[in-house]
Amino acid sequence: MAIHEKSLIRPENLKTHDNLVLDGVNVSVHWSTFIQSRVVTDYNEAMEEEIAALPGGEHINRCWQCGSCTNSCTVNALNPDFNPRYWIYLIRTGMESELLRDKDIIWQCISCNKCTYACPRDVFPEGVMKATAHWLELKGHTPKSKSTLFDEEFTAQVVATGKIEEGRIIRNFFARTAQPLLQDWLVEMVKRVARRLPFKQGLMMGWGAVFRPRTRKWAKASAAINEYVHEQEARNRKALNLE
Amino acid sequence: MTKPVLVLGAGPAGLAAAHALASVGQPVVLVDKESKLGGAPIISGYAKLVPSGEWARDAIGGMVRRVEENSLVSIRMNARVEAFEGEPGNFKARLSDGSSVEAGAAILCTGFTHFDSVNKPEWGFGTFPDVVTTTQVEQMISSGRGVRCPSDGRKPQRVAILLCVGSRDRQIGREWCSKICCTVSCNIAMEIREELPDCHVYIYYMDIRTYGLNETYYWKSQEEFKVKYIKARIAEVTSDGQKLIVKGEDTLVKRPITIPFDMVVHAIGMDPNVENKSLAQVFGVNLQEHGHIARGSYGASGQTSRAGVFVAGAATGPETIDDSIAQGNAAAMAAYALANRKDAVAA
Repeated sequence: MAIHEKSLIRPENLKTHDNLVLDGVNVSVHWSTFIQSRVVTDYNEAMEEEIAALPGGEHINRCWQCGSCTNSCTVNALNPDFNPRYWIYLIRTGMESELLRDKDIIWQCISCNKCTYACPRDVFPEGVMKATAHWLELKGHTPKSKSTLFDEEFTAQVVATGKIEEGRIIRNFFARTAQPLLQDWLVEMVKRVARRLPFKQGLMMGWGAVFRPRTRKWAKASAAINEYVHEQEARNRKALNLE
Repeated sequence: MTKPVLVLGAGPAGLAAAHALASVGQPVVLVDKESKLGGAPIISGYAKLVPSGEWARDAIGGMVRRVEENSLVSIRMNARVEAFEGEPGNFKARLSDGSSVEAGAAILCTGFTHFDSVNKPEWGFGTFPDVVTTTQVEQMISSGRGVRCPSDGRKPQRVAILLCVGSRDRQIGREWCSKICCTVSCNIAMEIREELPDCHVYIYYMDIRTYGLNETYYWKSQEEFKVKYIKARIAEVTSDGQKLIVKGEDTLVKRPITIPFDMVVHAIGMDPNVENKSLAQVFGVNLQEHGHIARGSYGASGQTSRAGVFVAGAATGPETIDDSIAQGNAAAMAAYALANRKDAVAA
């Protein structure tokens, strides 16, 4: 549902009382139904600054609410609740509770960057979506998304060895996301690969899976990457006043 | 020797007209009701002008000096025109100080009157001391005292600027856009953020009309100074005893808002000069529907409904300082041509 179609009365704002007496008058049943106020009573000014401090969110303050991002959005075409323009507004005005209502769809941005090219003010809405999803995770509003878990597994291997070993990534990713390893599509793919794969290639893949070769002299690079990643993570947590 | 041109009003338009005429050898009588030349930017104590960024006292002050030092300009301060008779090339004006002036032509540079916010009582001006106007904020800045809450002199943590106060409002008979308030408000918002970096500034707008190159002010205020823009026309400004409470509807999320603020600034519009009715009577010129001095057609710069009487600047409607100066120059050209016509024919 697009924002303009959203009902002004939300089910959770409807309060009914089976027995209610006001000023000595019994107003139970019909008259005991009340609509809680939706009034915005203050702005959370820290919110925009926090999201702007995360990578991708830097230019959120440029937004003038034209809606080009939402109109050009691939995901919005499939799910009208996915509304970058609206979320940017909520963040800028600090309407945190309102943003949290959509926390489970914000991560769905597919980074097609159509909004990036449509935006007349160079807000980089795609970056803002990324920063917002990141903010939700860091604040503990959402669990780590599958894509985050995949990225972490992938990155951990690169940092450790300078290489990636696909079999291990898939095994660990499935384990971390509680998925069975023997999925039909995977079994089928392995069967077909095995049928066509040159013997020597198969041998090398097997060897790599067992012995986990490293890129030579990788230790220094690994340490440098680790240091940088920790620096950035510390910086992000500090910007969000965590710890 | 031609008769002088009477220039009424020594604001940007009048100063420009007087200087333009004097610089081509035309004598000028410059009349102003105030005891100081400069018009609104000086009398109301504006701070930095848009778009030049120059202080009003330097920019307009320079125009004042230039006119004061010119021997062809005769200045009559603390004076109004009480009667104006005759015909093009041969007018006679009687001033309130009892003197009279013979003039070949006249240029009305009588400007505007700031909207009085008391006429929008629901927005709290006159009720709560921390509700101020853009003019007052200009004065806080130009005086060097800085932007402070008038009630107790504290530095505001949160400021709301309400646009279109006294503009675009049928309820109070002001159906025009005052043209400059958006840009001025963007500029003031940036000045507040510059002086008080911890102060959050919100602008409540219906539309943002920073037309032409003034758009820079809108962009810069958002991108560099992080001023926030909320699309809402405010319903009322009240107080909880501690803070001002701004109520309205945030139309982009369709939600009512009641937000606490330390200071509320009215971006006041430009009314027709309150004296326009008597000016129109004295000079025999027509006013247009909103009460500004009516202008003639294309091809007659600054012509009014009466031959030989010209008009320039905010007397014709809400106008910027730069455009007022340009119109002053244009009207000077037209008045010069007219004031010298008879001599040319005689020669």
